[in-house]
Amino acid sequence: MADNILEVSDLKKHFVVRKGIFPGMSEKQNIPAVDGISFSIKKGETLGLVGESGCGKTTTGKAIMGLNDITSGAITFNGNQIANLTAKEFKPYRKDIQMIFQDLDAALNPKMQIGDLIKEAVVVHDPGLSKEEIQQKVLKLLDLVNLKKSQISNYPTELSGGEKRRVGLARTLAMEPKFIVADEPTSALDVSIQAQVVNLLLDLQQKLDLTFLFISHDLPLVELVSHNVGVMYLGKIVEMGPSAKVAKQPRHPYTAILWSSIVGGDTSRGLKEDARSTADWQVYDHSSTSRGCKFAPRCPVFAAKAEPSECSSVMPVLSDAGDGHLVACHFPLNN
Amino acid sequence: MSTNPLIKIEDLHTFFYSKAKQAFIRAVDGISMEVPRGKTLGIVGESGSGKSITMMSVLGLISAGPGVIRGKVIYDNGRIKKNLLQGLDDFVDLQEHDGTIMQVDKDLYGWQQHSEQLMKNIRGNEISIIFQNPKAAFNPFTVIGEQIAEMVLLHTRINDPVAAKAKALYWLERVKMDAPEVRYYNYPGALSGGMAQRAMVAMALASEPALLIADEPTTGLDATIQAKVLQLLAEIKADLGITIMIISHDIGVISSLSDYVAVMYGGTVLEYGSAKDVLSTAYEKKHPYAKALLASIPGLENIEKNGARLKAIKGEVLDTIRVVEGCKFASRCDCMTDSVKHKCNTQQPPLEDIGGGHKIRCWLYQ
Repeated sequence: MADNILEVSDLKKHFVVRKGIFPGMSEKQNIPAVDGISFSIKKGETLGLVGESGCGKTTTGKAIMGLNDITSGAITFNGNQIANLTAKEFKPYRKDIQMIFQDLDAALNPKMQIGDLIKEAVVVHDPGLSKEEIQQKVLKLLDLVNLKKSQISNYPTELSGGEKRRVGLARTLAMEPKFIVADEPTSALDVSIQAQVVNLLLDLQQKLDLTFLFISHDLPLVELVSHNVGVMYLGKIVEMGPSAKVAKQPRHPYTAILWSSIVGGDTSRGLKEDARSTADWQVYDHSSTSRGCKFAPRCPVFAAKAEPSECSSVMPVLSDAGDGHLVACHFPLNN
Repeated sequence: MSTNPLIKIEDLHTFFYSKAKQAFIRAVDGISMEVPRGKTLGIVGESGSGKSITMMSVLGLISAGPGVIRGKVIYDNGRIKKNLLQGLDDFVDLQEHDGTIMQVDKDLYGWQQHSEQLMKNIRGNEISIIFQNPKAAFNPFTVIGEQIAEMVLLHTRINDPVAAKAKALYWLERVKMDAPEVRYYNYPGALSGGMAQRAMVAMALASEPALLIADEPTTGLDATIQAKVLQLLAEIKADLGITIMIISHDIGVISSLSDYVAVMYGGTVLEYGSAKDVLSTAYEKKHPYAKALLASIPGLENIEKNGARLKAIKGEVLDTIRVVEGCKFASRCDCMTDSVKHKCNTQQPPLEDIGGGHKIRCWLYQ
């Protein structure tokens, strides 16, 4: 489709780890962190990626950013293939594709003042600007992310978590990006501050027509900010669709379990209380050699249907039920 | 059995001194709360609100000066009744000016010696803790089973190592660890996050405490694992009738376990009451902060349509260095009416009972 700003098709990223300490004698193990995922994002929209730790959300984001080489598949940005490029080849896209990092303290140089941190980004984006123009642009960016002018001479350590997040955002926006990968942008923030930052992101999206890939483990938050949601489990997308549908009528048992695990939330989405008890498992177990559904060992439906053979031998394919709501399950829930 | 609360905190003050800022950090600034026996108290607040410092003050774990400078912590389990801060005032010399503490001179060594005496047979025996990061709380070079058995030997009447091991296995089974005999010989590094937290709970219970303090017990765990750990704590609470103090920034976690809830902000308790009243958006009488906090969670009732916004609280979390004349929440408050505005900015409201044991620290309800 023409209006898709980003298309990812059959993306695979396998890490190879060696077991043992001697290079010649060590055994290689293949970790399929991302194992064949496809999605596309329309301009000005947000795709949310949710899943537990180790499911491959961040690896996907890094692959799009060109920070990781990929094993196979294709990533197309505005019609151009951007996967596995060298740093030099990736440079034209660097400005357009930016990332907001999870760890605020690691992302900002503690010895630079806020003004200089933002100025650095402005200068990199447009080296031809005069001093006054740079200063004006810095002030404009500060205003855009609701920071005070007086904070220009502060150091990162003097700022609160929410303010540091805004500085990071101002640096990102200095590039005038078209596409932003936001990797857990609010996980380090208090709820009241999280709400401010999320509102700011939504405002900026409207104002600047930004496209987001929003990576988070927080389901209600993802539902709020995203147009579409993809649920990942062990490197695969198990369910994808419009956020209201995935949230209100989950079709994959895993999505239903995720919803029911939200404490203090609504537990009535598809699965009953006792279904939670099957979910006590080590999440990131890539070592399984089963050719079937990766979720089967934890799946309450698999257990309830007396372990049907399809689940343990055939990998379910992500397929559309007809309403843009995709699910990879042999026995999807009917909600 | 008397109906006294198991632990009662009265007017607790814990300060630190910042050399860089030349000022006191008022981490805990006059806290009073109580935990009824067999019930669970949830303490909820944002970072820097003083939740963890309250817990550490109660246990005498504050080592930096000036530390705990004033207050009472009365522990009463029916057999033992004592103030865990009894006589510690003697080691602290407060210099006040207009009710503001200007300088604290403290004999830290003497204070600590005395505190250790007071805590003897209390910390460990009567009160156990579950920490946020279970892997850091275990000794990485000893198998978890032995560490649990050590707790049994130290804090219960069991003196025989074989019996202690049996007891450790019993606790591992009790917290629903799969294959306890195998896990007994696992090092902490070999356990996943959820399992390590289960082992931590087993270790805390091994001393058979009357009070269990859980400081952010599920932070850092995946949502599905978090639900399991909370389920375990709820079962233990029901089975053993243990009193629990649970500290978290996550209102969901607090609501799933607590009978009573204290909402903390800037080192003070702004609201205290039964969990169903404090954490329900339907309950009318509520502190503006608690109200705003509930509304700012991307919970289910807050999402109506795509493109909707969250209700944010303006401003930043209170800096505990600043001495606030009036209400601590005044600078971020939206509910201030003209009639109370002057009071809000000049006088700290008292924590007043508005009926049925529900206490709110706000001029709107005075």
